[in-house]
Amino acid sequence: MPFTAKSGKFNAKINAVTMGTGDKAITIGGENVLPFYTFDEAIENAPKVGIEITDGGMEAEPECIQKCYEGCASVVDMAKKAATFEGVDFLSIRLEGGDPNGKNKSTEELIALVNDVAAAVDLPLVVCGCKNVEKDAELLDKAAAALAGKNAVILAAKEENYKTVGASAGLAYKQVVGAESAVDINLAKQLNVLLTQLGVSGQSVVMNVGTASAGYGFEYVVSTMDRVKAAALSQSDATLQMPIITPVASEVWNVKEAAASEADMPEWGNQEERGVDMEIETAAAVLAAGSNAVILRHPESVKTISTLVKELV
Amino acid sequence: MYKVTFKFENGESVEVFAGSGENLLEVARKANVAIDAPCSGNAACGKCKVKLTGGELDSKQTRHITDEEYAQGWRLSCVSKIIGDVEVLVPDIASAYRSRMKVADLGSAEELQIFEKTKNDIASAGIAFKNDLEVVEITMEEPSLDNTMPDNERLTWAVEAACGASEVKLSFAVLMKLAEVLRKSSFRVQCVVSRDGERAEVLDVLSAEEKAQVCGLAVDIGTTTVSALIIDMTNGGILAKASAGNGQIRYGADVINRIIEQQKDGGRKKLQDAIIKETLNPLIDAMCASAGIHPEQVYRMCVAGNTTMNHLFVGVDADPVRMEPFIPTFFETDSICAQDLGIHIYPHARILMAPNIGSYVGGDITAGTLASTIWNSEEMSLFIDLGTNGELVFGNSEFMMSCACSAGPAFEGGDISCGMRATDGAIEACTIDKDTMEPTFKIVGDEGQKPVGICGSGIIDIISELFRCGIISPKGKFIREGERIRHDSYGMGSYVLAFKEDAASVKDIELTEVDIDNFIRAKGAIFSAIRVMLSSLDFDVSMIERVLVAGGIGSGINMRNAVNIGMFPDIELEKFTYIGNSSLSGAYAILYSKEAEAKVADVAHNMTYLELSNEPSYMDEFVASCFLPHTDATLFPSLEMK
Repeated sequence: MPFTAKSGKFNAKINAVTMGTGDKAITIGGENVLPFYTFDEAIENAPKVGIEITDGGMEAEPECIQKCYEGCASVVDMAKKAATFEGVDFLSIRLEGGDPNGKNKSTEELIALVNDVAAAVDLPLVVCGCKNVEKDAELLDKAAAALAGKNAVILAAKEENYKTVGASAGLAYKQVVGAESAVDINLAKQLNVLLTQLGVSGQSVVMNVGTASAGYGFEYVVSTMDRVKAAALSQSDATLQMPIITPVASEVWNVKEAAASEADMPEWGNQEERGVDMEIETAAAVLAAGSNAVILRHPESVKTISTLVKELV
Repeated sequence: MYKVTFKFENGESVEVFAGSGENLLEVARKANVAIDAPCSGNAACGKCKVKLTGGELDSKQTRHITDEEYAQGWRLSCVSKIIGDVEVLVPDIASAYRSRMKVADLGSAEELQIFEKTKNDIASAGIAFKNDLEVVEITMEEPSLDNTMPDNERLTWAVEAACGASEVKLSFAVLMKLAEVLRKSSFRVQCVVSRDGERAEVLDVLSAEEKAQVCGLAVDIGTTTVSALIIDMTNGGILAKASAGNGQIRYGADVINRIIEQQKDGGRKKLQDAIIKETLNPLIDAMCASAGIHPEQVYRMCVAGNTTMNHLFVGVDADPVRMEPFIPTFFETDSICAQDLGIHIYPHARILMAPNIGSYVGGDITAGTLASTIWNSEEMSLFIDLGTNGELVFGNSEFMMSCACSAGPAFEGGDISCGMRATDGAIEACTIDKDTMEPTFKIVGDEGQKPVGICGSGIIDIISELFRCGIISPKGKFIREGERIRHDSYGMGSYVLAFKEDAASVKDIELTEVDIDNFIRAKGAIFSAIRVMLSSLDFDVSMIERVLVAGGIGSGINMRNAVNIGMFPDIELEKFTYIGNSSLSGAYAILYSKEAEAKVADVAHNMTYLELSNEPSYMDEFVASCFLPHTDATLFPSLEMK
């Protein structure tokens, strides 16, 4: 008797969420199979790769990344250049200078920058906050307003500030709301429930379920993503069917394997190679675990991951 | 040395001397001044407030005290140091647990009904309500120069003849008083005899004229509350019932804090004294006075308490109970009599202890399980004892499984800013108007009693109502605004139940987001324990045929609301029954019935103990349960329909 392979596709689907507008708009999610299980069913929207810059501009970048942006005088120049790198699907601007415990830049200053960047590139945009929940509530509210009509991703609403961020990004300005939780399937689900109860449509939510650099408690990340996808697909849990976007860069470039200079750690070899390796390894792993988009920093990593995705989907 | 004066609202006062820099709470403890300090003096709970009425204290203002209160002289005693002569007022609420000792009016049929029902349930399971104690009248031939048998042999022979026993033993107490009693009564006496087949032991000897009454004492030693009964051992009749706060409370609200306290120098003695000398003996005296008996007529005692309480009661080191691998000194012991522990009853009275089965499942649960009679039914029953520790037993006549979860003191009002135990002034039930957000509540106490705080059942109602009215999110955060909803300078929301003008308290009675969060954790611990225990058996909640809820906390519990907040599984409300203090009714059965005593050991041996901390899924279930009603809404279908 001939062997007939049985398709492992599910009746449920991950929500398809569009980021950006016009020709450059992209869609993530929409699949009804496990990550890269194209043999079960074609994957409609391949995972997407974003590149990240920060309000800190060149000084905030490690030397090896600075050289990729040679000749850029401003953050806007960097944004323009970033948009030209091979494999970039979207641009993420991280407003880390807003942190009251850091540079504590004013909301006005940062929003002006967001406006300039948005005017300079036509890629879909992701705006990341400074990680201080109170400041982010204000910052991301204003960012959502400034980017009205751009269908940007506001990353992120957390349990502590979801009311402000969700109401602004999701209800008032119809952006895509990023929902960030800390590596726990239940917390991810709870935040989605809170956002939908607030009135935000589940179709315009993407999740950042939390991440870590490979080797840093990473098995929790993988198991959380695995379980989120399993609940979304096999149990048709509508409160977990949002696509996952994972900011890899901000984790990876802070760990010693990527940050320690070659002078400090000669036996570890070239710093750039190490950093890029960490970024690629982490990104590949979160994609395999179920992320629908990753945010990276080094153009080389973007290129490699983008190629990997094209080969697999 | 400085003079410290503690004044009470009833006008009494206590004066002690203390050195410079001594902590006020410590000074109060040494002077036996009861200041409620559930957090053991860690400045965490804010319960140990006193009012400075003279002199000075070096005292920081903590977050529990508003500027206004501080200006009025309110201080937390645990953060106050003595720097001079000082006079403080100890508010009544702080000494509430002591004044709460009450001897129940046995006219109330409700009280007796629970014991009657337990007795009937156990009896219908085939357990005979008989014990080995009886009074035997003995007449002996008086001795003479021709009849020179010593007194003890004379009595032994006579008892052998009267009881048909082949082996008779006289207790030391009998030997001590024998000569006097026999001669005073012309060798016509009554003996209190314990009979076991061919063997008999004479516990006491009384002259024929004295009124012989064989009484027994059943005690439930709870972490928070101690309840007791004195019964007539010949017919099971209840002669007196009483309860009081556990005097150990001032050494911490939960078992862990008490174990830490007993580790200190002289700590074991201190904790044992707190339970026996300060709590049990006064309770026994009060009950004996009310029943018109002498404490020495109490010939047997049965204690049901959690493992830690049992250890502290006996005075053995409880530290291993707390430390992995959680091994207590004993599960069962039959070697203790009243005089070993200084209990104020017949000195040679045997003390029965309901057996422990694990570090966190103790005699209160085995006694409670005995009383619940789940071991005698085919029905799959879940027995829940809501206390500082939540304990669960699930099973039927074929098997039983038990586990314990740390619910924390929230059910008893601990860790809740306006929380209190279910005493006078506690809000025990509440409804809220969805449109106006105005509350209506029921308060413990006499008509006209003003609210003082909120007890466990009140918190269940309030949270359920706040959630139903859309005032709080499933995470317990405020999402509506109104006159009764406030936010402090840190943005923390709270709901005001009673403004201070309407309350018998120094500040508004409110429930804060932190309180709600604490309570959600407590209910999450209970619900996740239920789920994990059932799933370890490959069962789900639909297989539960009845739920028996016990615990002093549960008396006013609204089962519908408890399901609404996801504390209990969403099954038909008819399946839930509140069975009162099952630990005490179990202790009563063990005391009165020899067969029940054997049965509880049998029940304990047949119970499997599940250590939840070894269950990998417990943490996950717990996080999922810390949501109203639950992260997985499909577990609460009856709420979705509404």
